[in-house]
Amino acid sequence: MNGLVRLLVRLHPARFRERFGAEMAEHARADVERARAAGPGKAVARRIAVLVDLSTSAIAEHARPTWSGTRGTRTRDGAGTMVMEWIRETRLATRALARSPGFTAASVATLALALGANTAIFAVLDTVLLEPMPYEEPAELVYLAGSIPGSDLPDEFGLGLEFYLDFREEASGLEEVATFNLFTSTFRTDDRVERIPMSSPDVSLFGLLGVEPLLGRIADPERNEALISHAMWTNWFGQDPGIIGRAYPMMDGTTREIVGVMKEDFLFPNDRVMVWVPNAPDPSTVNPGNFGLNVVGRLAEGVDREAVLPELQAIARRAPEKWGGSARYAEAVAGFIPIVRPLEEELVGEARAPLWLLMAAVGVVLLIACANIGNLFAVRAEGRGRDLAVRRAIGADRYHLIRSQLSESIVISGVSGLAALALAWFAIPAVVSAIPDGLPRITQVSLDTRALGFATAMSLVAGLACGIVPAFHASRPNLSRLRDGSRGSTRRGSFGRDALVVAQTALALVLLTGSGLLVRSFQALYSVDPGYEVENVFTFQFAPEEAHLVDGPTWAAFHVETMNRIRAMPGVESVGIVENVPLDEGVRGVRVRTAENPDPETSVLGSATLAAGDYFEAMGISVVAGRGFTDDDAITPGNAVVSRTLAQTLWPGEDPIGRQIESTVMPDSWHTVVGMVEDVLQYDMRGEPEPLIYYPIVFENTEAQVTSPGYVIKTERAETIAPDIRALVREIAPSAPMYRTFTMKGLLDRANAPLTFTMIALVIAAGMSLLLGAIGLFGVLSYVVSQRSREIGVRIALGAETSRVQRMVVAQGARVVAIGVGLGMLGALGVGRAIEGLLFGVRPLDPGTFVAATAVMLAVGLAASWFPARRASTIDPIVSMRVD
Amino acid sequence: MTTSDTQGMSPLDYHVLLALASGALYGYAITEAVERESGGAVIPRAGTLYRVLARLVSWGLVEERAGPAEESHPGRPRRWYGLTAEGRQALADESRRLGEVAELAMRRLGMGRP
Repeated sequence: MNGLVRLLVRLHPARFRERFGAEMAEHARADVERARAAGPGKAVARRIAVLVDLSTSAIAEHARPTWSGTRGTRTRDGAGTMVMEWIRETRLATRALARSPGFTAASVATLALALGANTAIFAVLDTVLLEPMPYEEPAELVYLAGSIPGSDLPDEFGLGLEFYLDFREEASGLEEVATFNLFTSTFRTDDRVERIPMSSPDVSLFGLLGVEPLLGRIADPERNEALISHAMWTNWFGQDPGIIGRAYPMMDGTTREIVGVMKEDFLFPNDRVMVWVPNAPDPSTVNPGNFGLNVVGRLAEGVDREAVLPELQAIARRAPEKWGGSARYAEAVAGFIPIVRPLEEELVGEARAPLWLLMAAVGVVLLIACANIGNLFAVRAEGRGRDLAVRRAIGADRYHLIRSQLSESIVISGVSGLAALALAWFAIPAVVSAIPDGLPRITQVSLDTRALGFATAMSLVAGLACGIVPAFHASRPNLSRLRDGSRGSTRRGSFGRDALVVAQTALALVLLTGSGLLVRSFQALYSVDPGYEVENVFTFQFAPEEAHLVDGPTWAAFHVETMNRIRAMPGVESVGIVENVPLDEGVRGVRVRTAENPDPETSVLGSATLAAGDYFEAMGISVVAGRGFTDDDAITPGNAVVSRTLAQTLWPGEDPIGRQIESTVMPDSWHTVVGMVEDVLQYDMRGEPEPLIYYPIVFENTEAQVTSPGYVIKTERAETIAPDIRALVREIAPSAPMYRTFTMKGLLDRANAPLTFTMIALVIAAGMSLLLGAIGLFGVLSYVVSQRSREIGVRIALGAETSRVQRMVVAQGARVVAIGVGLGMLGALGVGRAIEGLLFGVRPLDPGTFVAATAVMLAVGLAASWFPARRASTIDPIVSMRVD
Repeated sequence: MTTSDTQGMSPLDYHVLLALASGALYGYAITEAVERESGGAVIPRAGTLYRVLARLVSWGLVEERAGPAEESHPGRPRRWYGLTAEGRQALADESRRLGEVAELAMRRLGMGRP
């Protein structure tokens, strides 16, 4: 915004600007700043008002100056003269362009759209991917994980505490290490209770990253202290410096003192974390084989990522002798391979490929736009052949001719650049809000200096690219044209134009195929059967912390009663509880034993959650064998339900009902399997179903306690029931926050959001390129028709049928498009590979998509040829031969 | 400065003079005062406001003033604007004229004072 304001201020006449410019800019800033407090809609309206006002006052001040302050005299040297000549040239070019408003408007609109899209995407890409992380020596920061090929562990898993402690102690290649995590927990002030994202890192994290708090100091893990984010300080506490020293109940209900506010750019591990409660890892809590820590490290000076691997491997493999553990653990660790990746890569994660893909897509759109405008300029230059020949004949040198040609395209690109900035300025908030959650620094994306620089550079390059070929072409005017005074009907120069159309067609086809593949993936993702229904299901959580809910049965009875209250509400079909709502939260990983196979060494890796009420019915999860949970199951421990995959793993080909089962979530507590249910997709539509145990919500030990169960309600009123539920919750447990309110449909959209966003963006880019490509072809053929009108007139006079004339023109278009399609197919082969990671249910070389994209491209090409062809067939021979 | 010179006075010119009649103000404070005193009907944005100020300064109705000494503001020092004697006169003349016009209107509508 500030850049744009400065730019508009600069457009005022120098005298006025020197006296009032700084004040005006300050005023505009204050104006926008004040509106921002009044809400986003208001802020956008105010921005528009300010920009329009500055633009009009700039024009008005030029037309009718209000200020005639003295103006400093400047001496002009050689460079000054050159600048003056360029200015004069620019003025001439502006006048020339003003005489053909249609051409100018079309060029500016095309280029502004393309440049605007490029600037907006660049701003996002730059902030998220390119700007270095705001930590000391960010290149030295790494993310540490592990892999044990051949084990039943995931391909990459978080380290165990024992590895972390040993790395810290012994690894000379690591200067410092720290753990970090991310969770949601309750934060309570006098007038506000919310579940907010928090992190509980090893206190060494702050020193490792080299960050200092904005206010106060880093918290001491030995005391009950916490740090808050700049965003929380602003939104919850109005930037009150008196926040330091205040204490609030948070996390597990412990009251902790806020001892520091972090700086605005400290967003670790992501933008949403609001509270950090540092801890100091305790070696006595090591449980060998318990993996899953997020570990960040700083490489020692001069050590690179490869070099530290052997040392880490050696240290990790010594863990069993130092920390003990089962034989199975010792065997697994013998195959341990450390993974060391740049921290930035870990934090940016899967966003990298889609962002670069989008940048490439809008880049292609810009190329096509340039090709289009270049073509238009070439046509224009051709039309001026005689004029240029005259100028050359009376002594203008080539430099001057090139300059006068180029100045037109520079003027176009300059104006487009300004319009593009305005577009980008409006587009960036829209793009940012459309981008799926979780991208680091996404909230900091703005039209900053780097984006402004990028936009300026791109418009300059685009201006040169559009103008350079026609300019050189025009600087070699055909002097023979002066001799006969005829209009050329030669095909000279048409090769270049055809080549541009071929390139446009090819590029458009590449984008079209890419977006086609994403659309197919999108359809496939939405047609996956996740094992549950997403329509008409509402979910929420609340965390009652009433004092009387001390033991499992009381706690469970409280929830059974709450479910009954909800079930009695109008429009509610069924209600159930689950600890981890699919698509919202993950289930815990456990090791499962059965009565037939009780040896812990051969236990099976599975997952566990807790459920009650009509959970399966409410979610539409079908019960394959046995039964679901009853209210008795909820308050009396002993019965469990298993998923189909788990049952088939544990008892292949046999009936699971009545079997005994146990897992690490409730050690030595055996449950009887009373039902088998269909598999569900817990995380997203791309994954495999988890082998899952459903325990009843009654708990026998604190380890398995659910503090905040997810309620699942099947109701036609899923979209509107939230306020009624909130009222009920307030009545039952006045101090418990209600949160994570979703519809299952909303959760599904959220899970699919990364693909949805990329797909929509790519479809828009493909649409733009298709449209521009069609306009380009239309322009070229129209020109050809107008150039050949005399010849066509003769043909018609000699009796050629109109259909024949039409076919001739269409055939010329079709030939160019066909070559473009051929080349585009080659490019599309590459793009399929490039976006393979995003695809789902469709192969990168999906023949259907390729055929469809090609058909669309050909159809558009033929349509674009048809209009000029029709015009050709209506040429009146008499008129056409009378020309000149 | 005579009344005839101010006949080109726009409502915005008038409101800016009106805002400055109670004492010198800096740019954004003028906008706020004008917005308040016009009941939100006139809100000059940056470009418009400074063109009006430029015009009023070159007419000699407004001049730059030293700001209050105790004003502390981060960054660039603010410029303060105040009415000249001609400015006061012009505001008074225009107010009288508007008053007469308003009175005429009320009379025609049959709502005038008896």
